[in-house]
Amino acid sequence: MNWFVGIDIGSTAIKAALVDGDGQLVGVHVTDSGSLFHKNAKAALQALLDGHGLQREQVSYLIATGYGRKLFKEADDSISEITANAIGAHEAGKAHGGVRTIINIGGQDSKAIQIDDQGTVVNFAMNDKCAAGTGRFLDVAAANLDIDLEQLGDYHFNGKGAPLTINSTCTVFAESEIIGLLANGHGKEEIVAGIHYSIAKRTLRLAKRVGIEDRVYFDGGPALNRGLVAALQDELQRELVVPEHPQTTTAFGAAILARAEWLAERRGV
Amino acid sequence: MTPANVDTLPFNRGRQAREAEVMLDKLVDEFTDNPAAMAYFYDLFRRVYIQGEALERPAAPQVGMTCIQVPEELIYAVGATPVRLCNGAYHYDQIGADFMPAKSCSLVKATLGRLQDQEMGVPRVGKLDMIVNPSTCDQKKKAGAMMEEMGYAVHHLEFPNVKESEAARIYWQRSVRDFAVQLQKLTGKRLTRKRLNQAMARTRRAQTAFRALHNLRKQAPSVVLGKDVFLVTNAYFFDDLERWTDAVEALVAELKERAAAGFNAAQRKAPRILFTGSPPVFPNLKLPLLIEEAGGVVVADETCSANRMLYDMPVVDEWLVNHMVDSLADHYLKPCTCPIFTRNDDRCRRLLDLVRDFEADGVVYQAYSGCQVYEMEQRSVGKVLNEAGIPMLYVETDYSPDDMGQLSTRIEAFLESIKTRKRQRAASGGQA
Repeated sequence: MNWFVGIDIGSTAIKAALVDGDGQLVGVHVTDSGSLFHKNAKAALQALLDGHGLQREQVSYLIATGYGRKLFKEADDSISEITANAIGAHEAGKAHGGVRTIINIGGQDSKAIQIDDQGTVVNFAMNDKCAAGTGRFLDVAAANLDIDLEQLGDYHFNGKGAPLTINSTCTVFAESEIIGLLANGHGKEEIVAGIHYSIAKRTLRLAKRVGIEDRVYFDGGPALNRGLVAALQDELQRELVVPEHPQTTTAFGAAILARAEWLAERRGV
Repeated sequence: MTPANVDTLPFNRGRQAREAEVMLDKLVDEFTDNPAAMAYFYDLFRRVYIQGEALERPAAPQVGMTCIQVPEELIYAVGATPVRLCNGAYHYDQIGADFMPAKSCSLVKATLGRLQDQEMGVPRVGKLDMIVNPSTCDQKKKAGAMMEEMGYAVHHLEFPNVKESEAARIYWQRSVRDFAVQLQKLTGKRLTRKRLNQAMARTRRAQTAFRALHNLRKQAPSVVLGKDVFLVTNAYFFDDLERWTDAVEALVAELKERAAAGFNAAQRKAPRILFTGSPPVFPNLKLPLLIEEAGGVVVADETCSANRMLYDMPVVDEWLVNHMVDSLADHYLKPCTCPIFTRNDDRCRRLLDLVRDFEADGVVYQAYSGCQVYEMEQRSVGKVLNEAGIPMLYVETDYSPDDMGQLSTRIEAFLESIKTRKRQRAASGGQA
C-alpha cells in the first residue's frame, strides 16, 4: 500500500493529512505552530503516522504547503497554499455537487479563490499585509471579552439585541472599540455578533474582487465558528459548504497533489 | 580614497547601506549565470548605495528631477546635468514619514527623506542647483512645496491632468517653454537649435541602446532577467549618460552572443510576466525579485522607472528653437501613460501591445499603498486584461520588507495557476 501526506505549515496551526493509494482521506492531525515550527511540523508528521501505525518510509510522496513550506526539507516538493487549497476544496466539494468559490480565513490572512470545474485556480485575492478580518482578529477579540475562542459561536446566537457595529477594520483599533462598547455596558453576545459581521463584510469585499460563483466553500480554522459561518452566509446571501474538518482542506489538497505527482513521476520512469 | 566600511558608518547611514546590501546580494548571488557585463552595474550600486561613494559630477549646475516628465534634453542643452531623485529606500521612507501622512506613497516619502539629508543622503549626488517638480499627482505637488521648505530651489513644472485636449497641449507647451527660460537663467547659457540637437543626439544614443536591450527581451526563452534590467534602468537615474550608454551597449552585445548560443536565463517553461504600476526603484526591487525567485521571468514592464522612461526617442527637427521646444513638449505629454490623467485608455492599449509583443503569460500590477491613482486604475486595467484572457495579479505593497513572505505565496500561486492553465490549454488543444 502507498501512502501520501500533505503538510500545511500555517502561521497558527500545522495541519497534516494522510491519503491512501486511492486518494481517499484516511486521517488528519492538527497542532499549534508555536515558535519552533520546524520541530513542531516534524512532530505533527510523526503523530499522524503513529496514529495509523505507519513509518516515514511507507509514505511515498510528501508535499509541504503554507508559510513554512520552504523550510521543511523533509518534503519531496512544496506548493503554495492557494493552489493546495483549490485542489483540496475541489476534491472535498465533489460530495456537495462541486464548488467554484473558496473562502479561506486563516490565522493571519484571508483569501478568496475562484476555481474552474477542473479545480484550477482562475483568480484569487488575498488581504494585503494586515490581520484585519482574520483568525488573529478573533483571537484578540475573544481575549478582550475574556471568553474562549470556542465559545464565540454560542455567544453569537445568544444575543438578545441586534449585533453591534464594529467599524474599525484594523485589529488594533477594533480592540479599543470593543473595550469602549464593554465600558458602555453592552452585552458580550451583541459584541461577538458584531465582530462576526465585521469580518463577514470584509470577507465579502475580498470575495467580490474575484467574483462569487456557486457553490461557495468556506474553510480555515475560523470556519469552525458557527457564528461566523452564519454571519458570512447572511452577508453573501448564500449557503456555504463547510467541510467537517475545515482546517485541513489545504493539507488534504497537498496530499492529493502528492499522490498525483507520484503517479506522474512513475509514469515518466 | 578607501571605501567606507559599512559597520563603521554612523547609525543612519549604516541602516541605509545594510538595506541596499541585503537587496543587492540577493539580486546578484541568488541567480546563476549573471551576464558579465552586469558587473558594471552591480559595482555601481555597491559603490553608490552601500559604500556611500559620492557621484562624480561635472562642474556644471545640477538639476534634480522628481519625475520622468521633465524634458532632460533641455537640461543637457543648457550645459547642466540632470539627476533623477525618486528614491527606493525603506530607510528614507521612514524619515519621509515626518513630512507626509503615514498612509502616503512610499516613493514620495522616501524621496523627501533622502532630500532631508542634503549632504550625505544616498545616492550622494552633490549640490542640487535646482529641483524640477512636475505637478503630476497630489502627493508630488505637496512634496515640492516641502522641498522648498528644506531650502531647495524648486521649479514647479506645471503639468496638465488631461492629455487629449488642445488646451492641455498648449498649457503644457507654455509650461515647458517657461522651464527652458528658467534653465537658461540658471546656467547663463542660451538654448540654441544646435545645442538642443546635440543634447538630443546624446539621449537618443542612450535610448537606442535601451531599445536594443528591450527588444532582446522579446526572445523566448529569455536571455536576460527583469531584475537586471531594472538595475540598468535605475542606474540611468544618476549615472553619467555616456558611461551608462557604453555599459548598456556592452550588455546588449553580450546578450546577443548568448542568444546566438541558445542561452536560457530562466527555465524553458518559466511564466513570462509583464510588470506594471508603481515603479520599482533600488533598493526596493522586492516584487520583481520575488517573481524571479519563484521561477517567473519579467520580460517587459510598463513603469516610469524603466520602459516608460526610455522607450520613446524624440527626433525633433524644426526651423526655430521655440518650435523644437514645443515638439519636445508634445513628445513628453502625448505618449505618457501616467495614471494621473483623467482618462487613461492609452495605458491599457500599451499593456495589451506589450503582452502581445513580449508573449507575456500574465501581468503583475504593483501599487504602493497610498498611491491612489494606481490603486484606482487597477480595476479598469484588470478588466481590460481579463477580457483579453490575460491573468493579472494586483499587489498593494510599500517599501517595508515585512510582507515578503505573504507576497511570495501570492506570486507562487499566480505562477502555478499560469502553468496549470497552459498545461490544460495544451491538453485540450491536443485533443481537438
